[in-house]
Amino acid sequence: MKTIEQLKAFYDTVLVKDLYVLEEKRRRLVNTFLVTAGIVGILALGGLVIGAQAGGSALIVFIPPGLGILIGGIVYGIQRKDYAGDFKSRIIRGLVGFLDPGLTYSEHGCIAESDYMASKIFTQRPDRYTGDDYVCGRIGATSIEFSELHSEYKTTSTDSKGRTQTHWHTIFKGLFFIADFNKHFNCEVVVLPDTAERFFGRFGQKLQALNFFRGQLIKLEDPEFERFFVVYGSDQIQARYILSTSLMQRITRFAQKTGQTVYLSFGGSRVHVAISYRKNLFEPRIFSTMLDFGPVREYYEDLQVAVGIVDDLNLNTRIWTKQ
Amino acid sequence: MWPLIVILIIILLVPVAMYNSLIAKRNQVRNIFATTDALLKKRFDLIPNLVTTVKGYADHERRLLEDITRARANRNWDQISDDEKIVMDNAFRKAVGGVMLAVENYPDLKASVNFLHLQRTLNELEEQISAARRAYNASVMDYNNAVEMFPTNIIAAMGNFQRKNFFEIPETERQAPAVSE
Repeated sequence: MKTIEQLKAFYDTVLVKDLYVLEEKRRRLVNTFLVTAGIVGILALGGLVIGAQAGGSALIVFIPPGLGILIGGIVYGIQRKDYAGDFKSRIIRGLVGFLDPGLTYSEHGCIAESDYMASKIFTQRPDRYTGDDYVCGRIGATSIEFSELHSEYKTTSTDSKGRTQTHWHTIFKGLFFIADFNKHFNCEVVVLPDTAERFFGRFGQKLQALNFFRGQLIKLEDPEFERFFVVYGSDQIQARYILSTSLMQRITRFAQKTGQTVYLSFGGSRVHVAISYRKNLFEPRIFSTMLDFGPVREYYEDLQVAVGIVDDLNLNTRIWTKQ
Repeated sequence: MWPLIVILIIILLVPVAMYNSLIAKRNQVRNIFATTDALLKKRFDLIPNLVTTVKGYADHERRLLEDITRARANRNWDQISDDEKIVMDNAFRKAVGGVMLAVENYPDLKASVNFLHLQRTLNELEEQISAARRAYNASVMDYNNAVEMFPTNIIAAMGNFQRKNFFEIPETERQAPAVSE
């Protein structure tokens, strides 16, 4: 892994040139926003004055600022898309290449929905599935891929007047990571954040054993790991073969390090890791300057969380028959 | 009248449920031991292979391994008792570990394709056995708890359910796996 000093040097020599170009675009974008807001404000004020004189017609009050918002919004939207696209192709692509030359980046790609479902971390089929910032390649002997994902399901409700409304609920939002696992196995194991045991103790463990959708409850010996996670699997022995004592410690450390909710699953000879984030990852700043090492470092650290999983879970150790 | 019948049914059903849960836990222990046993046998069968591969190297460690193997060679694997297999497991692990450590001094042997393949297979097997031991111990703990805890201990005493022995987990394995990752 590269050090922060190396990142700073990369920032000073390579990224800063691109950031100047982006900063120009960002300023234009902010200007568009401010000009639109100003025009809409003036139009609204004008509409109010004229509307008051013309006897309070709603049409005169609302149409001019509405048109202003529409036109300004379209221009702002186009400029924003161009700015974000340029930012990703210059900065995020550059950072991915800097992190490891063996990795490739695709701005619009994402983990396939079939892979997301095959992980069995989230059992509910999403009604809306979106994602971007797809990275794939090899880190040493391990092939990896990850992207930002947002999966949602919808519910509809009807109010007293018979109008139906659609509500979207998030299933998962964050980073979804898949890697080739370093051991052969032919079972399925899911490692989920433990809520029942944390709140209800031993009784919670009994409740977990009653989860019929998830297979057998695997009670593991590491108390620290058990405090964070609950494990279900199709085979008691193979689940422990995958979750060796050292891997349990590594997973616990990884969850503590990220400070986010972490889900894992093992199946089809692969490991899947889902890390929840509230924020949108790898998106450019708009209302504060980009000519700063701070945000670049933050993007880099977010990328490193995913790429670092290979080291964090020791996936490049190939001392077993799988090479 | 009905409440009385319901209470009677509950009084009858509770011991049946406790007895069945004890049986399920005992079967779980047996089931996991059967898999563990298969893995232990697999390792036992690999020993002659290891002995042949390291012939001419690490003589002292190899002879130790041969002695342990010879002591059991004249018996069929199925004739060896479960408790004896648990003891054997410990001796084998130490002897195989000793050979692997001694081989570190022989770079030409370490580089041979045959040895490398055998080493990977043994590493994998040791890791699988370690997992099996942990699974076995977890199921034994579950079963022993039921045998000793109230109220299932009453049914256990009546049904002659005996406590089962744990696999000894070596100190090194408690901190890190036998095959260091």
